[in-house]
Amino acid sequence: MIDLSSTLANLASNTVLALQDVATSAAPAAAAFAEPVVEQRELTGGFWLPQASSTLAPATDFAFNAITWLSYVFFFGITFVLVYLTWKYRQRGTEVRYDAGAPVHNTPLEVGWTVIPLLLVIAIFFMGFKGFLDLSTPPKNAYEINVTAAQWSWNFKYPNGATSNDLVVPAGQPVKLVMRSNDVLHSLFIPDFRVKHDVIPGRYTYLWFQADEPTGIVPEDQMATTTKGHYLFCTEYCGTDHSNMGRKVFVLNEEDFKEWEETQARWLDEVPDEELYSVAGPKLYLRCSNCHSIDGTAGTGPSWGDQTSGSIAGLGNVWTRTIEGKTPIDGGTRDDGGSTLSDYIGPGKLYETPEDYIRASIYNPGGLLVSGYGPNMPHFKGQLNDRAIDALIGMMKQLDQFDAKGRYIGKAPN
Amino acid sequence: MTTLDATRPHDAKPGPEVDNYLTFTRGFLSWALTLDHKRIGLMYLVSVLGSFLVGGIFALLVRTELLTPGATIPGVDENLYNQFFTLHGAIMVFLVIIPSIPAALGNFVLPIMLGAKDVAFPRLNLCSYYLWIMGAICAVVSLTVGGFDTGWTFYTPYSTTTSTGGVIPVVTGVFILGFSSIFTGMNFVVTIHKLRPPGMTWFRMPLLLWALYATALIQVLATPVLAITLLMLIVERVFLIGLFDPAMGGDPVLFQHFFWFYSHPAVYIMILPAMGIISEIISVHAHRHIFGYRFIAFSSVAIAIFSFLVWGHHMFTSGQSPLMNTVFSLITFSVAIPSAIKIFNWMATLYRGSISINTPMLYGLGFIFLFTIGGLTGLHLGTLNTDIHLHDTYFVVAHFHYVMMGSALIAMVGGLHHWWPKMVGRMYNERHGIIGFALVFIGFNVTFFTQFMLGSHGMPRRYYDYPSEFQIYHVISTIGSYIMAAGFFWTLYLLVQSLFTGKIAPANPWGGRSLEWQCSSPPPHDNFKTTPSVGDCYDFSVVRWSEEEGGYVVDRNDEDASKPDH
Repeated sequence: MIDLSSTLANLASNTVLALQDVATSAAPAAAAFAEPVVEQRELTGGFWLPQASSTLAPATDFAFNAITWLSYVFFFGITFVLVYLTWKYRQRGTEVRYDAGAPVHNTPLEVGWTVIPLLLVIAIFFMGFKGFLDLSTPPKNAYEINVTAAQWSWNFKYPNGATSNDLVVPAGQPVKLVMRSNDVLHSLFIPDFRVKHDVIPGRYTYLWFQADEPTGIVPEDQMATTTKGHYLFCTEYCGTDHSNMGRKVFVLNEEDFKEWEETQARWLDEVPDEELYSVAGPKLYLRCSNCHSIDGTAGTGPSWGDQTSGSIAGLGNVWTRTIEGKTPIDGGTRDDGGSTLSDYIGPGKLYETPEDYIRASIYNPGGLLVSGYGPNMPHFKGQLNDRAIDALIGMMKQLDQFDAKGRYIGKAPN
Repeated sequence: MTTLDATRPHDAKPGPEVDNYLTFTRGFLSWALTLDHKRIGLMYLVSVLGSFLVGGIFALLVRTELLTPGATIPGVDENLYNQFFTLHGAIMVFLVIIPSIPAALGNFVLPIMLGAKDVAFPRLNLCSYYLWIMGAICAVVSLTVGGFDTGWTFYTPYSTTTSTGGVIPVVTGVFILGFSSIFTGMNFVVTIHKLRPPGMTWFRMPLLLWALYATALIQVLATPVLAITLLMLIVERVFLIGLFDPAMGGDPVLFQHFFWFYSHPAVYIMILPAMGIISEIISVHAHRHIFGYRFIAFSSVAIAIFSFLVWGHHMFTSGQSPLMNTVFSLITFSVAIPSAIKIFNWMATLYRGSISINTPMLYGLGFIFLFTIGGLTGLHLGTLNTDIHLHDTYFVVAHFHYVMMGSALIAMVGGLHHWWPKMVGRMYNERHGIIGFALVFIGFNVTFFTQFMLGSHGMPRRYYDYPSEFQIYHVISTIGSYIMAAGFFWTLYLLVQSLFTGKIAPANPWGGRSLEWQCSSPPPHDNFKTTPSVGDCYDFSVVRWSEEEGGYVVDRNDEDASKPDH
């Protein structure tokens, strides 16, 4: 009796808290819950190049502009001569006006238009070579950030253990990215910094830059739509969502960066246990959202919601179909011939509990594959700890408290 | 002696009573089993143009999808889009541009220009055509088993792990197409070495033959590397032997080295014969001796040699060592020199010429314009630090379209107009031809010049979705592609129309001096009734308009045979 009443009391207070939460955040919520408005950006920078925001960008731009001006000279010169000669020596009618005196070769001329371009391209080579040496030599005191690329997300890991999906860097300090790939080739490209390097499975590659101008930072759920920050693209074709790997680079001044880094490292631990699923869940889900929808639309991976098409159509949301064991299974390294999840979950089976299955699906996604889906998901071992997994499982269990975009909307009022 | 074959009056209807290669024998088998280089060339031409249509449709789908960020065409999602650009690239490179000039136009004109009755190995020639057909069938098969989304470059480990089912059929197809290309190249090398008639010395050869010879050398030497690379890819995908996939102990960068060791020379397989065509078009329509014959001829050979030494410039950001990047950048610039030499010599050829401004000549001048842009933007990409910024962006896309399409394909279309009367015996409507050129030329520049700006501002290639600030450029580019498509359809229409209503072509409609203009249009089955005598193929002093022929005639053809070489 006592247990029951205390449970009821807890429930009531939780509901009140949740309602208060909704009420207090009503004003900003209206903005946050509305479809994010993509601010229309204009191309920054000049006619040819975007804004130059790293210390090495001016050298690259100088080379680009020098070559471009040289090209203008040659292009307009050649075009002018071409049009002029064609017009001047045009033949009217069919009668050939043969000019017996027209020269057919001239060795000094040939040598001239061999040697002059040769000298020009050697000069261009050295301009590019000097810039390239700087680009490929990270300073010794550079601040190191580990980068893991995967189909189709970036993960940036900081020395203090903080992780982030967007690249946040300190201003006025060289930053060195130590990059590796979980699966196929990727390439990290920041146009405003004029840097790019491939990210290769089985190898570490470096890229470095220094950005002096802080950009500020915005809350995580607005990062995709804000005009702040610099673009970061994947420029090596990597499959389905290659074009959706775009993220932002935010440059913070030293104090703000320290503070951000600290919070970023601790935020998951500081979320109160009872808010783990509602606060930490949506934040972590941002990383899943590229492939797993909540509104039931089929994506690269199965929807967390009740999917409307494919092999899992009508089986309920991810938690329902897992505990009921109805999800059809076809393929994967641990597939031993079972047809649905019920063959794998339960006492004495591969996974004792549904929670075990969910965790295994995040740490070793290629183990069991849902029918109709390939082994596309990267593993998150070392990136998501047990507490993060708890948050995600909690979110799956109470998926009706989240909207189609994965934002917490509270319990249904009944 | 006026022309070598002046037996056919210019107003005669082509028909069984007149011997030409089209009417020499009849029936399906007479074409399917023909050993005549002209018929094989024509079959190649039809097949290549058919593939061009298919590849072009995929290009239009890609451009239309990019009209807006995110989804544009209903039903086209990321995966389908990725297949579209992959198919566009693979079809255009392997089925269209590589065989377009050597196998289609080259097959037709090379033996005639040389003064030979056929290529050295006619059966091998037919075999190479059927290999092309088999390669094309493999590509179609791949579409029926799930398609492929690897990009035309087949980069590992994506290509060995992607779940699309058509990778192995299409790679097999490209493998087979490689042999088609090798056979054509080998045939041309032997033909030029062994079948030159008396008087046709190396330095009497039209420059197109020098270009085709240089091309053939690359085809024979580089294509086997592609073959072995693709075989290794198949071995890795099927038998899981780790060659390129690091998960199995391989090295993905090794694949890029192998791939570009072929695919960079392949760029010159595309552009060298195009340059050869331009040398012919410019001098014939300017009725002017080509300027700097030896420099143009040797620059073709120089380009063929350099082409093997620069593959690493595709890999400045790939993780190869900075030292290699530096060496490759330096050698890459050396390719600029022979290309520049050609452009300056073509310009000098116009000086004091007698220039007919007609469709082939406009394509020739258009080529120089577009190739200049393509070549100069190559400097931005060969330079180390600017390439770091521009690599894998639309700047690269624009650059190689200016070279591969704006130059190689435009030259091919120009050459088609140039030799069309010779091939089919009919003249096309000149005014219609000029309209076609204008549409293609304007459409091309609108499509691709905007892509330079997209790329230099950071828009990566192979993107389905993009930030909204890039949209205006994409919209302009797409509109350009529609104009260009209209130009190509118009050109197709005017060429087909000429078959039915075109004027009967004279033997020499432009005033050319090389040997193909001395046999009738269309040429007889054996090309020449007697062994032709070879003059200076760029001496236009003896070319004269003849009202009665309706074309040009060459006086005193063999009198200058005793003159020294160029």
